[in-house]
Amino acid sequence: MLARSSMRSTRILNGLKNGAATASKRAASSSSSAAGEASATRMNLAAAASTSLALGSIAWYYHLYGPVAFASTPAEEGLHSTKYPWVHSQLFKTYDHQALRRGFQVYQEVCASCHSLSRVPYRTLVGTILTVNEAKALAEENEFPGEPNDEGEIEMRPGKLADYMPAPYKNEEAARFANNGALPPDLSLIIKARHGGCDYIFSLLTGYPEEPPAGVVVAPGMNFNPYFPGTGIAMARVLYDGLLEYEDETPASTSQMAKDVVEFLNWAAEPEMDDRKRMGMKVLVVSASLWAVSVWVKRYKWAWVKSRKIAYDPPKEVKVRR
Amino acid sequence: MGIWDAFSDIVEAVTPWSVVEAEAPAEDKEEQPEAESKDDDDEDEEEEEEDEDEIVDPKDVLEEECRNSAQCHPAKHHFDECVERVQQQEENDGGAKEDCVEEFFHLAHCATACAAPKLWAKLK
Ligand code: HEC
Repeated sequence: MLARSSMRSTRILNGLKNGAATASKRAASSSSSAAGEASATRMNLAAAASTSLALGSIAWYYHLYGPVAFASTPAEEGLHSTKYPWVHSQLFKTYDHQALRRGFQVYQEVCASCHSLSRVPYRTLVGTILTVNEAKALAEENEFPGEPNDEGEIEMRPGKLADYMPAPYKNEEAARFANNGALPPDLSLIIKARHGGCDYIFSLLTGYPEEPPAGVVVAPGMNFNPYFPGTGIAMARVLYDGLLEYEDETPASTSQMAKDVVEFLNWAAEPEMDDRKRMGMKVLVVSASLWAVSVWVKRYKWAWVKSRKIAYDPPKEVKVRR
Repeated sequence: MGIWDAFSDIVEAVTPWSVVEAEAPAEDKEEQPEAESKDDDDEDEEEEEEDEDEIVDPKDVLEEECRNSAQCHPAKHHFDECVERVQQQEENDGGAKEDCVEEFFHLAHCATACAAPKLWAKLK
């Protein structure tokens, strides 16, 4: 029913179209016969006018939007960080957990006095960076508010694995007050939060030149860092050669510490990465196996087709006289 | 425990490589050698303190080499020229009329890009 009615409607449409076509044909033939050459110049005029309108609009558009406005100087943009060949960014590589351990040490000994890491609970450190006992001992170093007691007072209790790392300052105001008005950002997701990720933070930490290039005026209380947009950053250089001693006796050069802490911060922002890569590997393994199975099954199912032989056995020529 | 866990448990039981444990290895075994090694540690620390001043950042060394290499010569040339110009302005006119940030950027970009792979080969 539906099909028939739609067929009817297309027929009607076709009829309309034919009607329109014949009508326009009639109009064209009648006008050409009536106006003659004058209409030819009119047509040329119309073509020229429409073309110049089109070109004009393109030109106007280009005039308005074409040239790119460089509204900021390179200094305001900041120096784009160089790409470094991070091991963990390779497809089949995990984090270097020895480096994570060193990086956590750097965070604790250097950065933790200013920067919080408030999205990382102690339990996530277990098995990736610390052993259970180390993580428990670390958690117990700090006190956290516990359950209300019989009188409804909240007492402090030693930390547990489930607690989150404490922040160095009570609140934003306290943090700003201690840092000349600048707020040290939380570092839990900083790698994801900055354009350039690991490369940027590494460059930022190691990129303080001994003195700013000639002619640069650095605002009071600020430090010159080419990678920070605007080049004036409130955080002074914090990493110096031999600032701390690694437990695995890696030489603690500035770039080594920066590399380790950046890898640690990448872990903090993306702790699921190792698992994700493992899952990807599983997907590859399973689909490769399934593919192999399907190839064998296909061979099995097609065996009789492939091995059959079609032979044409022509009828013997028999001389039969009719 | 889903069916997948069952599978991965079976796989883990069969595979020859070991699973990383979050538990520290048995403690009483560890303590004695640790007590012994503590003395070693102290010695090491003293040694390290001695060569602490000697820790040289490979990044600085490599980038200095790169800055002086032929690859970065144009950038370095421009930067040096700019520094000279600005210093003259400061001496003669009592203030700089420009700064060398852009020149510095180009030189730093060249030097870090040139040093990056070499640096990663050196660092742990
Ligand atoms: C003395 C306190 C202090 C210490 C120690 C410190 N920082 Fe900072 N950090 C700051 C302040 C203040 C800012 C804000 C700077 C600004 O906005 O100008 C900041 C900003 C940052 C930023 C953000 C930059 C951006 O693009 O916005 C990162 C990343 C960072 N710090 C990483 C670190 C790491 C890693 C360490 C440890 C190696 C560290 N900081 C140690 C005070 C500190």
